[in-house]
Amino acid sequence: MDIGRRTFIKGAAAAAALAAAGLPAAFPKAALADDGLTWGKAPCRFCGTGCGVLVGVRNGKIVATKGDALAPVNKGLNCVKGYNLSKILYGEDRLTKPLLRQGDKFVPISWDKALDLVAEKIRETLASSGPDAVAMFGSGQWTVHEGYVASKFMKAGIGSNSIDPNARFCMASAVAAFMNTFGSDEPMGNYEDLDLGDTYFLWGANMSECHPILFSRMTANRLKNPKVQIIDLATRFTRTSQEADRYVEFQPQTDLALANGIAHVIVREGLYDEAFLAENVTLKKGKTDIGYGVEDKFSFSDKGEAISFDQYRAFLKDYSPEKVEAISGVPAATVEELAKLYADKNRKVCSYWTMGFNQHTRGTWVNNLVYNLHLLTGKIAKPGEGPFSLTGQPSACGTAREVGTFTHRLPADMVVTNPEHRRKAADIWKVPVEKIPAKPTYHATEMLRALDRGDIRFLWVQCNNPFQAAPNTGRFRAAARKEGRFVVVSDAYPTKSTEVADLILPSAMWVEKEGMFGNAERRTQHWFKQVDPPGEAKEDLWQLIEVARRLGFGKLFEYPGQDLHHALFEEYRRFGLGIGKDLAPYEVYQKERGVIWPYVNGESVKWRYNTEYDPYAKKEKEKGISFYKNKKEHKKAVLWARPYEPAAEVPDGDYPFWLCTGRVLEHWHTGTMTRRVPALHRAVPEALVELHPEDASRLGIRNRDRVLLTSRRGSLELRASVGERGVPGKGSVFVPFFDEHRMINDLTLDAFCPISKQPDYKKCAVKVERIG
Amino acid sequence: MSEKPRHSRLAGAGVALLGAAAAFLSLGGRSGNAFLLRPPGAGEPQRFLSRCLRCGACAKACPYGSIRMDETGLAGGELGTPVILPRQKPCYLCADLPCVKACPSGALDAQLRDAKKARMGTAVILEREECLSLKGLRCEVCYRNCPLIEKAVTVENYLNARTGRHAVYEPVIHKEHCTGCGICEHSCILDRPAIRVGELQPESENLYEG
Repeated sequence: MDIGRRTFIKGAAAAAALAAAGLPAAFPKAALADDGLTWGKAPCRFCGTGCGVLVGVRNGKIVATKGDALAPVNKGLNCVKGYNLSKILYGEDRLTKPLLRQGDKFVPISWDKALDLVAEKIRETLASSGPDAVAMFGSGQWTVHEGYVASKFMKAGIGSNSIDPNARFCMASAVAAFMNTFGSDEPMGNYEDLDLGDTYFLWGANMSECHPILFSRMTANRLKNPKVQIIDLATRFTRTSQEADRYVEFQPQTDLALANGIAHVIVREGLYDEAFLAENVTLKKGKTDIGYGVEDKFSFSDKGEAISFDQYRAFLKDYSPEKVEAISGVPAATVEELAKLYADKNRKVCSYWTMGFNQHTRGTWVNNLVYNLHLLTGKIAKPGEGPFSLTGQPSACGTAREVGTFTHRLPADMVVTNPEHRRKAADIWKVPVEKIPAKPTYHATEMLRALDRGDIRFLWVQCNNPFQAAPNTGRFRAAARKEGRFVVVSDAYPTKSTEVADLILPSAMWVEKEGMFGNAERRTQHWFKQVDPPGEAKEDLWQLIEVARRLGFGKLFEYPGQDLHHALFEEYRRFGLGIGKDLAPYEVYQKERGVIWPYVNGESVKWRYNTEYDPYAKKEKEKGISFYKNKKEHKKAVLWARPYEPAAEVPDGDYPFWLCTGRVLEHWHTGTMTRRVPALHRAVPEALVELHPEDASRLGIRNRDRVLLTSRRGSLELRASVGERGVPGKGSVFVPFFDEHRMINDLTLDAFCPISKQPDYKKCAVKVERIG
Repeated sequence: MSEKPRHSRLAGAGVALLGAAAAFLSLGGRSGNAFLLRPPGAGEPQRFLSRCLRCGACAKACPYGSIRMDETGLAGGELGTPVILPRQKPCYLCADLPCVKACPSGALDAQLRDAKKARMGTAVILEREECLSLKGLRCEVCYRNCPLIEKAVTVENYLNARTGRHAVYEPVIHKEHCTGCGICEHSCILDRPAIRVGELQPESENLYEG
């Protein structure tokens, strides 16, 4: 009987799927169909998964989008955000004219006046305070072209390193650890690992809600293969925990101890791969007691010191399963079991993580510690085996990381502190090498602090919303309105950031311009412009170049007789050729559903460092793995001994709860797009505070009661959610940050990882009171 | 610290599926004989109508404005009786049931003390061919918004036949736990909601389990 019912469901779903599968064939460039409808390809505008969609345009307006059946990432599927993608362009309050602040009001002005004013303010600032005082707050949602132009604008035009993206808030710790472990940013594997592995450890990643299409792929793997196990390691029970085979809850910040505990058992039991270690791994320890960056102008740089395997073994003595249990709350027996799963020679193990690891005052360390588990067991850079850092923004990888729109970076993993790197950049950019400053200035959080102090006088924000998304936003919102600051915000909609701007520039978004995004699996995806932006809105790239012209360095962006986007990309591509960061020619992206780099001899390298797949590795040795990018470590990966250290702010008598922030499936980031889609707004109209049922009952708080949350920095009223979609651990509360009417970041603490400078949005102390 | 062994969420559960479509004859306006969602504790329609004084006390007590008095007959009920139109505002299952407490006549049964035990109706995915989750998209808004998540609604995974490498996340309603609050119907992202609250289905009338 039950079988009959299930068969029916499957039949019905298959029929529905087939109906939806009547998709048009490949249209690389928008192609005209019979009914005046054209279909073009593009990656989704939201998260770092990079699902492909087809964009249906009629009479200059997008009338539909649908999952692209030919896109390898998603095979025609979308999440509910992606399903509603076209609607983000058509919110009623799109910005269509430049707006200048006059007192408390904004008045429309012409583009000419607006751009002249931007140039004038930059010139004034350069004269009064020097180039470092001119700053650009960029974005992992910038297209590759936009990020490249912005970076060149700042580093080769203005001569300032005061550029940093919001990607600092979401994956800087992943970058820092990729660099100090492998000498090259971004994962070695790709999404096929979701299909090919059999043991999945999720560390601080609510994949089911935040990377829903990828999680659906992992779930499908389990449906096909009974061996597959999904283990969710987290501080909050989520829809991912519900789907997982096993949920292991640890106390906030103690993932450091747990990862070391797993390593302890692997080493104690001799479960490590000795040959792999000898061939491919070198061991180091770094500085300890490294601080939290809560004070202005905090500075830190790590220093590695080589250690022996015996020293590492001695270091791990502090992380016996019993000691780990005392720190983390995870039973010793569980630590043993997890270690044995990691090390089981018959299991293909992958680790996935996102913000739980990266937004962490020891974010670089905890990334290092999960690499350790893969290096110890040799389960890395092979199909279905390896560590994989997921990303939250559509081009955190493609733009922020690969183009290098950080204060310390240049394209293709290069840094401004390295004279050779500066020379290469100056060469390609055709500027004197002295033009590119050798010293990094402000990372994202410090940039906002510098605005407050007055060290930054001119700030241009593009394509993101830091005055809602930054930690401890209250301070920075006030800073923006201080005398003697000039804040320009380029956006498509009014946001919490445009609210504090002096000048608002209306931006084209997504397929209103040509662009490229790079997703978490190193896949770069191109789209053509498919509709005109509304009113006078213009792409961010045009805005930058127009100001460059007015400042006298417009030549940096002149490519006579060539298509601008094409020429910009081909110039940018020169940075990565021949060094394992090879991108494909522009024409290839125009045709393909994205291309994974490195792209060598006309083919994508699916698993970097693996001689079977990567010609660069093959050059190094006949067989096995070569971490060829880590030249200064003799082409070995570094296993770092990193201890457990407590969080920056820990609950106490006055503020007895942990506050963790995050996302829900229905909204993306600060909600400036998804909250303008009526269907998504209807689905999740407001941010709620989730409490553990026992805490709620102790405080007399019932579902949907009004609750006041207070931290040392601010307070906020919210309705309670008890025992619903997410259940934080006892002593913790959780609030998503999408809701501009409930600004949870007024409460968060601007403590960060001293190595990566990425803030910890997952841990600060609050008190919880029932209202009324 | 807690751990959860994976369990079969469907084991032994009586699953409400594809309830009698007749209960949903009217879609938008809910006119005629279609099902009417009454406040918690209303129970069987004849009994409720015979006791309801049409006084509006329950509507006044509702902190969300979910309960409205059908003064024009637009909702298709008896004139002046309280109804809930979930697409406009569902019942949020207040823990202290202010509407039931306010009812002077017992039309809303004071025996009901736990909002989660209310049985106003049963949710059903009526338009299965429209439901995004059934098409393999990752939607499941109804599931994540259910105040009795994992009891009244669970998700069941099976392989997406089209892509061969994704899972379908099908929301499955368990009528023995569904209060009929209408939050799922309210939050469905389709213009015409695929999931709707209808009449309580007696066990024996479940068409696909007989």
